[in-house]
This record gives sequence, structure tokens and C-alpha cells, in this order.
Amino acid sequence: MIDVQLAALLCSGCFILVGLYAAIFLDNIIKKIIGISFIEEGANLFLITLAYKPKGVVPILLPNMSPDWFITNSAYPLPHALVLTSVVIGASTLAVILAIAMVLYKKHGSLSASEILGDSNE
Amino acid sequence: MNDLIPLMVIIPIIAAILLNVLHGKNSLVKIVSFIIAICLPLIPLLSNYGLHYFGGHSPLIDNGDLLNSLPSFISNTNLSNLHIGITYYFGGLQKAILFFLFLLGFLAIFITINERKRSSGSYMFLIFMALGSVTAMLLSDDIFHMYIFFEIAITAQVGIILSSNDDQRYETAMKYMILGSIGGPILLTGIGFLLGLVGSVNITDISNAVKNGLIDPISPVFLFSFGLIFFGWIYSVGLPPFHTIKSAIYSKATPSGSAILQALSVVIFLSFGLAILRIYSHLPFINGFIIFFSLCGMILSITMALIETDLRRIIGFLAVGELGYLGLGFGIGTKLSVTAALFQGLNELIITALLFIGFGVILQLTKTSNINKLGGLIESHPKIAIMVLIGGFAMAGVPPLNGFQSKLMLIQSALNANFPELAIIMILISIVTFMTFIKIFHSAYLKPKPKDLTIEKSLVPRSTILSIAILLIICIVLGLMPELVVKDFSVFVGGLI
Repeated sequence: MIDVQLAALLCSGCFILVGLYAAIFLDNIIKKIIGISFIEEGANLFLITLAYKPKGVVPILLPNMSPDWFITNSAYPLPHALVLTSVVIGASTLAVILAIAMVLYKKHGSLSASEILGDSNE
Repeated sequence: MNDLIPLMVIIPIIAAILLNVLHGKNSLVKIVSFIIAICLPLIPLLSNYGLHYFGGHSPLIDNGDLLNSLPSFISNTNLSNLHIGITYYFGGLQKAILFFLFLLGFLAIFITINERKRSSGSYMFLIFMALGSVTAMLLSDDIFHMYIFFEIAITAQVGIILSSNDDQRYETAMKYMILGSIGGPILLTGIGFLLGLVGSVNITDISNAVKNGLIDPISPVFLFSFGLIFFGWIYSVGLPPFHTIKSAIYSKATPSGSAILQALSVVIFLSFGLAILRIYSHLPFINGFIIFFSLCGMILSITMALIETDLRRIIGFLAVGELGYLGLGFGIGTKLSVTAALFQGLNELIITALLFIGFGVILQLTKTSNINKLGGLIESHPKIAIMVLIGGFAMAGVPPLNGFQSKLMLIQSALNANFPELAIIMILISIVTFMTFIKIFHSAYLKPKPKDLTIEKSLVPRSTILSIAILLIICIVLGLMPELVVKDFSVFVGGLI
């Protein structure tokens, strides 16, 4: 049986690599943004994977659990909290970047990055 | 009054939200933003030095009763030292940097209120949000917390660019966002590797784990995390290969907006730079790495500034190049060099703000920033010309101004650390900076006025002149009395190295 943690780590690595390829090499701005979203989700999946514990329990201490048993068997809650924040931040930046893409499309009538961004002076 | 420490972040953020809600109510936006902006610099002055644990979650070792009630595998191990909640540290360094950052924020808001007939609540939202986010980065002892506020600062920066009237602002904002959206998750992945190794994102905990041998400083995972976090750092501060986009965003914003953007970059540089030094100081190659990128940044930026003809881009490149001095100070890694780098960072924050606002007047009067089309402005605006000239001297390191003091300290630290070649490069770059500045000053002020140049008759707002004068006075005072801040910086660095 495939190790779930290893599979998730590989998956997060693939997400990041595919996202990097799309963000750097694809010309369409929307495709670049999708690539960026892939990179963000890859990083989030990587963090979540760190918290995984085989046969672990959700890190919520219930009345019928002894603290010793809970500490030994619960998943690590910190990465979950971090990812929750990261998802919100990622969604916000994605909204901003999509809004700018819309304005650029209205201005240039195109979504080609080389056409829109290539001729500005930097 | 340690309770004031979190207020340095909370008040700007609440002010930002409030002003966004008040958008459209012109006089109310002006009054509220002015009052909050003038009060903000007082908070760092009134606050006591110390730590603030959010939620009261201090390390277990500080809480004897709770520690004794826990199982022995927690109470008798390093787990009892871990910082459970977010921790803010406020010391002499933070006090000086935040005071001047908030003062700069106040001046930017003061200029905006006076320049614009209708004050935008949304624009004030962006300025306060940017101030709050970089303040959190400087105070925080938690690298993930820093990452979150870094992302917020990037988004606020983009908003400040978009609020200008430049034709190319959307294109530049899109480029910056694409790069930022790649840099951010890469930084997050680096933090994830550290979390996997230590189980904590607190910088003190990670640093202690490396010092105590719990982490092998040359293990591949640790090195990989360094690479990823370092990439995020060079992106955020505009070191190569990101120096061109960084200088471009400065040139697209309004003059006071550019001053804020550069201040954000400096504080982000210092915050992440100090975090990297604390976590990765045991890596054998870290000094060389930082020195290499800083030197590239200085040389490439000054070269670009020499060949550029757009006034705002030139100042942008000079500002990015000056950040290389900070990097060199961090890279040399001695107590004197890091203290000098921190002092240079503070000076950079003030001097570039002066130059952005000062040269912004030219754009306002002539509607052009092309140095080949400018000239003769000294006849109509001699006071501003003199103030900008002194500001340029401060940037180039002419005595007895503040830029001279910090650059002298940096050169001395390079010589003391047996890096004479770095000292020579720093002197050469200062000379080229001086030449570049004289070139643009001559083009804008001293050269005969071109026939086709029309200079608007309107008066420069008093708020702008007053802001430039305040910044100039700070340059002179810090130049004559550097010990006002250097002593505190030195104490901070002493605890670090």
C-alpha cells in the first residue's frame, strides 16, 4: 500500500512544479493565474501533509480521552491552523490579481502576457 | 506599558477598515486619517520595551504551576521552552524604526489630504494597512506570522500603485502580483520545511533548535528551506533579478506613495534579513550568499540608474541600489556591520522618502519626468532645489549627513572584518551615486529651461514643502547625532550575535 504521506508530498511537489511551469512559460494571463493557484495549493498541501499521522485522530480533546493517549495519537494541529490562514490570504491575492486581469483585458482586448506586459518599460 | 505593543499593529488595521467604510465622506476621512496618523508615532515612544504574548500564551517554562501538572515528556524536555502563541518583541531597534515609519506615514497622509480635494478612504485604507502589516513583520517573532503580513503588505503595495494616474500602472501591478504570487508560496514552502524540522514556526525556537544541535545545519532539508526563504526575501526587497520590477513600481506610484513603498521595502528587508540571520547564521556560506546578491543589486541598480532618463525610475534604481548596503552589512555579519546596516536602513527610509517627494514636485509642475525635457526649475523653486540637493548628498554619503555616518560605519566594519575589497566597492558605488544624483539635479534644476517646457504657475502645497523640510531636519540631526539611534541598535545586535 502506498504511504499516504509520501503520496501527498509527491502530489504537492507536482502541484508546485506544474504551477511554476504555467506561471513562467504560458503566455495567457488566466493560465498564469491558474498556475499561481496551483503553486499556492501545492504549498498548502505540503503543510497539511506535515501534520498527518498514520491512524491518528483529529486534534480535539474529548472528555473520554486521557491526555497522554491524546498527545500520542492526535495529529499535529499547528499546520492546519496555518493553512487555514494561508488559504484566506491566497484567495484574497487571487481576487486582486483576477481583478487586474479583467481591467487589462478591457484595456488591451487580449490576455496575452507578451502583448500586454512585454512592451511596458521594465 | 507593554499593552501598547500589539496596538502598534491593531490601531493601523482598525483605522484602515474604518476609513474604508467611511469612503466617500470626504471631510470625515480627512479628519479621522489625520488624527490617527499623528497619534501613531507616539505609540512606539510611549511603549515599554519587552515581549507581548498573544492570548497570554507564554512558554511553559515561565508558568511553573502549569508545567508541573503536565506529563514528564513535556516538562522535562525542550518542549517546555517552545513558544506556543504568537510573540511580539519590542526593543530599541523597533522603537526607532517604527517611530520614523509612522512619521513617514503621517507625512504621506498629510500630503495626500492637502493635495487632493477629495480624499479617498480606500487610499487611506491601503496606507494604514501597509503600515500595520510591516509593523507586524518587524515586531513578530513568528516567521509564519511574518509571511501572512508580507502577503498583506504586497497586496497593499499593489493597491498603492493602482491608485496613481500612471498609464502603465495596471501592467506593472500585474507583473508585481505574478512575481509576488510565485514568491509568496515558495516562502511558505520554506517555512513548511522549518516547521517539519522543528515543529514550531517561532524564530527563537528554531534558532535554539539549531544552536542546541537538534537540527543539523547542513542537512538537505534545512538547506532547502534556506534556499526557498532566501528566494522570498530577495523578491520582497528587490535584489536581483527583481530589481527592475521593484524600481518600476516606485516610478508608477504617486510621490508620497513611492515614499511609502520604499519604506515598506526597507522594513521588510530588515525583518526578513534579521530572521534569516537568526535562523541560518550557522550555515557556512550564508555570508557569501548575502554579499553576492547585495553586490549584484548595488552594481546592476546603479548601472541602470546611469543609463535611465526617467527621473522617477532613476530614483527607484538608486533606492534599490542603496538596499545593497544593508545586505552587505548583514553579509559581513559582525556586530558593527549589522548595527551599521540597521542604521543605513533607517537612513534609507528617510532619504529616499525625501527624494521621492522632492522630485515628485517636478512631475507635478511640469507633467514630465524625462530628464532630457526638464531644466531651469531652480529659478522658480530654489528652496525645494536646495532641500533636494542636500537630500541627494545624504544619499551619496556626504558629511555630516546621516547617510555619511551609516556608510562610514559600514566601510569601517568591512575593513575590520578583513574585507577591504568590499570597502572599496562601497566607496566607488557612493561616488557613482553622487554622480548620478548630480546628473539628474543638473538636468532638472540647473540646465537652461527648454523652450517647449511649460511649468505650471500653481504653488507647491505647503504640506509638501513642510514634509521635505521635516525629513531634511531628521537627516541633519541623525548625521550630527547618530548615537541617538545607534546605541539602541548596537544593544539589539549585541543580543543577536
